[in-house]
Amino acid sequence: MENNDDMDNVASAQAATNRAPDPWADLVRQVAQKRDRAAFQQLYKHYTPLIRAFLLKSMGAGGDRSEAEEITQEVLIKVWNKAASFNPAKASVNTWIFTIARNTRIDFIRRNERNDRKIEIEDIWHEPESPEPLVDLQQRRAEQVIRQAITSLPDEQLQVLYKAFMEGKSHNEVAEEMDLPLGTVKSRIRLALSKLQILIDR
Amino acid sequence: MSSAKAGINMVSFHPDSRFLTDFASGSLATSEAICVAAHLEFCAKCRAHVQQLSDLGAQIMTRIEPEEAVDADDEGFARLMQKIDDDAVHQQAEVPAPVVSAAPAQGLSLPRVVQKLAQGSIQSLNWVQLGKSLRIAPVNVGDGVRQTSLYDIRAGGQMPEHEHRGEEITVLLKGSFSDAEGKYVRGDFVVRHAGEKHQPTATMDTDCICLVSLERPVKPSSIWYRLLEPFVQFRLSGFSN
Repeated sequence: MENNDDMDNVASAQAATNRAPDPWADLVRQVAQKRDRAAFQQLYKHYTPLIRAFLLKSMGAGGDRSEAEEITQEVLIKVWNKAASFNPAKASVNTWIFTIARNTRIDFIRRNERNDRKIEIEDIWHEPESPEPLVDLQQRRAEQVIRQAITSLPDEQLQVLYKAFMEGKSHNEVAEEMDLPLGTVKSRIRLALSKLQILIDR
Repeated sequence: MSSAKAGINMVSFHPDSRFLTDFASGSLATSEAICVAAHLEFCAKCRAHVQQLSDLGAQIMTRIEPEEAVDADDEGFARLMQKIDDDAVHQQAEVPAPVVSAAPAQGLSLPRVVQKLAQGSIQSLNWVQLGKSLRIAPVNVGDGVRQTSLYDIRAGGQMPEHEHRGEEITVLLKGSFSDAEGKYVRGDFVVRHAGEKHQPTATMDTDCICLVSLERPVKPSSIWYRLLEPFVQFRLSGFSN
């Protein structure tokens, strides 16, 4: 936490967004810098049930509990090993862990596919990164908007987002499962995204 | 909002909300995801959207009601730390894997994912020459559904007119090309649907390199290429094993 530029950026980002600091970021920093097992245990207690539930849902009926356990453990090991790469200016711990869990899930699903492994999952799905502090700042503001606005989404819209992000279903799969036209799924998601001010103009 | 980088490239064709959402939620097929990832390196705006969508995924994840409140217990934690300690012992014994140096080919900076596909040099791919101006290098991404390839169209070269039988995604990596619908430059993410017919032509000044993901093989319109087609499909499918 010395006064280097990165830390100044974090401080100013936090001041400018006028938000409470990420309660988990400090724990990740302690894991990264001191290999602090007590800090890691707090992260473990909070995130293990969430990661496990996420993996159980997304692996569907075919996913068994012991597999979900195993992959949850894999995600937590990555959290321990990659803690130094976490940058609080760029993403919250929630988002960082979500992307690790998502990538681990994709990796698990693809392990059984015929693939000569020229490319790794993280060549395609990177952890959040952007080169500019100003962009980071805008992102952290956007994240706050999302967190606040999500509580006001109608169930109909929340349901499709839930299927997409928790169950890992594509637009096509959601349409099929809910017996809706693809266009309806797409417009529900777009409506939800515009309420969350994720303004994809296409 | 748009960064200087995006401004210079003037990327004007982007993946739509379906592509970006399915990408962020991790449900996009590998071949399509590779195209989105390549586009993201050229487009700050879409990068920002993907980050926002990941934030959204994280918010939804943290709102889950876990089925069981228990079993993030001390015993489970002890087992996890044991595994981490065991892994650490193993890793010390291993020689660290060398970092693949993805040297840019002839000053051409390719997106990371394409560099990995080409393993540093696009010249080393299995290129199949089709006529004078076009060569295609199929790459196996383990998708099993879609065909992923790099296209290299010689400056001023024209592709045979063809009709799409399924969706086609093209990401421009170098140069530019045009068809009846418009002109496309580096970074553009262009989607064509089944039934659409076009004849892209690379601009005169430079060769054009594209990343292409095809849902189904295209159908050439001209007699000459139709005669060639069984041969081409045979050659291409031969490489995708």
